Amino acid sequence: GAGAKGGQKVIIEPWGRHKGVFVARGKEDLLVTVNLTPGESVYGEKRVVVQGSLKDANGDDAPTSVEYRVWNPFRSKLAAGIIGGMENIYMGPGSKVLYLGAASGTSVSHVADIVGKEGTVYAVEFSHRSGRDLVNMATHRTNVIPIVEDARHPMRYRMLVGMVDCIFADVAQPDQARIVGLNAHQFLKVGGGVVVSIKANCIDSTAAPEAVFAREVEKMRAERIKPKEQLTLEPFERDHAMVCGIYQRAG
Amino acid sequence: MSVDYLLHESSVGYAVFKVKMQADTIGNRLKEVQEKSQDLATFGKMVTVVSFAPFQGAAQALENANEISEGLASDFLRATLEANLPKPGKKSKVTLGVSDKNLAASIKAGLPYIDCETGETSEVVADLLRGIRLHAEKLLKQLQEGDISRSQLGLGHAYSRAKVKFSVTKNDNHII
Repeated sequence: GAGAKGGQKVIIEPWGRHKGVFVARGKEDLLVTVNLTPGESVYGEKRVVVQGSLKDANGDDAPTSVEYRVWNPFRSKLAAGIIGGMENIYMGPGSKVLYLGAASGTSVSHVADIVGKEGTVYAVEFSHRSGRDLVNMATHRTNVIPIVEDARHPMRYRMLVGMVDCIFADVAQPDQARIVGLNAHQFLKVGGGVVVSIKANCIDSTAAPEAVFAREVEKMRAERIKPKEQLTLEPFERDHAMVCGIYQRAG
Repeated sequence: MSVDYLLHESSVGYAVFKVKMQADTIGNRLKEVQEKSQDLATFGKMVTVVSFAPFQGAAQALENANEISEGLASDFLRATLEANLPKPGKKSKVTLGVSDKNLAASIKAGLPYIDCETGETSEVVADLLRGIRLHAEKLLKQLQEGDISRSQLGLGHAYSRAKVKFSVTKNDNHII
């Protein structure tokens, strides 16, 4: 079932410092984003409509309603990272984001909500099966540019992508740091943010997760990404970490 | 080695730039040098547009995007380069900066008088091409704000739809 839960009072507040991310306070607190396409769910997620009023041009009260979509941290690494307390997500309204490992586009749709109509999400996914869902999702959200292509070869999609403010990566590949570096050198602005979800098992299933994370941070440093933050995605994901950094070319 | 011209491939068309000023390889990573390419006012003094060859419609854009993704120079690209780079003299060769080494090989095969430097062989070229990508909409005077993102959206859909449609197995391509 979608829509507001019958007559229940819900209060919306901004989530920390992240512009475009909100918490809906009701019986329980939920992470939400403003639905860019009101009336539609993307993957069956719940929606919350909040009535409010704004002053119109004449100074009279004009009733407004804003629809939010619930963002489940068990289904999205970025949502898990935000709830886990990420200091900075390096994206907000108007941002251009290169999203590597877009899958079917469920998390991408929330990133599209965050960057809003003025922003752009370049969503790269190699699997054709997921790519089909991604393309379909993007037909409803015109700030998402679907790119069915291998993130290992940014050269192949360089005609489709401009310079971006942030790269988010959830590619779950052993050479993930290299993939992020290749894309950053090509498309990421100096001073732009890098947010990477690392699944220890995918990099090296024999080493301790902490050791794997530390090695990945070093690899990112070698790609000129200055690490800023690392946090675990417990309790939503096991042996996962979110690592954030800033891209630098000088020095 | 210095670079004379640059090729920028985008969703709206091909653009050839002339390099007016470039950093040397050694100083390229200096903060002051890096800051120059981030500011349009200073970067605009480093390169100048020689020619912008827009795609005539979505079909041509897709055709070229497919060839570029495979590192091939299309007839349209070859004609654009031929028309806008100086003809070969007795000794002088022109050096063109491109981002992809496969495309560089394809250009050289068709137009042997052009030398290519790529973003991989020269960081100076990589940084100039980054600067063009950053400022493209302002540097190409014919374009209006939003033109590039609109064409990226159309081309992204066309490119990705074709990929999904022509997948023979209709299954995932597994990579190991």
